[in-house]
Amino acid sequence: MPSQHNDKSNLSIERTQVSDHVVLVVSGRMDAENASQFEEKCKDCMAEGHTRLVADLGGLAYVSSMGLRSFLSVAKTLQSKGGVLRLCCLKGLVKQVFEITGLMQVFSVYESVESAVL
Amino acid sequence: MPGAPRSLTIAAKAASLRAVTEFVHKGALEASLPAARIGELDLLIDELITNVCIHAYPADVLPGVVTVKYSVPAPGELSVEVADQGVEFNPLKAEPPDLTLSLEERPIGGLGIHLVKTLATSLTYRREQGWNRLTFGISADS
Repeated sequence: MPSQHNDKSNLSIERTQVSDHVVLVVSGRMDAENASQFEEKCKDCMAEGHTRLVADLGGLAYVSSMGLRSFLSVAKTLQSKGGVLRLCCLKGLVKQVFEITGLMQVFSVYESVESAVL
Repeated sequence: MPGAPRSLTIAAKAASLRAVTEFVHKGALEASLPAARIGELDLLIDELITNVCIHAYPADVLPGVVTVKYSVPAPGELSVEVADQGVEFNPLKAEPPDLTLSLEERPIGGLGIHLVKTLATSLTYRREQGWNRLTFGISADS
């Protein structure tokens, strides 16, 4: 059996700009070891004055509760600044984790990047 | 011998997670768990090992050890025990998170145990001679 942990242990976060939103394309696996990378990227965006962020999770294969902490922490900070963190393209295990933890109702979740930046 | 438990004892630190995950993947192979269950197995192990790493041992004894055992009670079924000698903690008695709270009201933590309780097909805890022993099951058809 191939080890999924080895194959997808790295987290990749690519930043793009779509209209007035910064889109962070998150790929790989998000766990205790690397979840802080997402928070750091978001802090960089906020430091530049961006408060409308979209996380495209279409390439994210795995997220643990430590990853969920990062999403919640960023969303709370943005909300306190009058901004928002939107999520899009959730699928598979990641979508299952958000559903189990009731976070689909906490975040603004969209099917596509295009709908998330409207 | 098929069905005999396998055991791994390792330092209770975040860097051990990969080795533990690879270890239980052998169990998943023996149990013939389908690929769709492997992600859930990874998550169960991740949450439990992370919990031990963060909460089980006081700072002056870090990094304590965690012992992981698995067995295959029947084809398509994997049983995994995660044991530590840290402070007594029964996650089955942990207060469930309120999933109805808004973003503003939501604490950022407390979701790991909820994930474990939801994803495991069985979950038992016992405190035995100074050890926390948490055993979960995961099935091919769960």
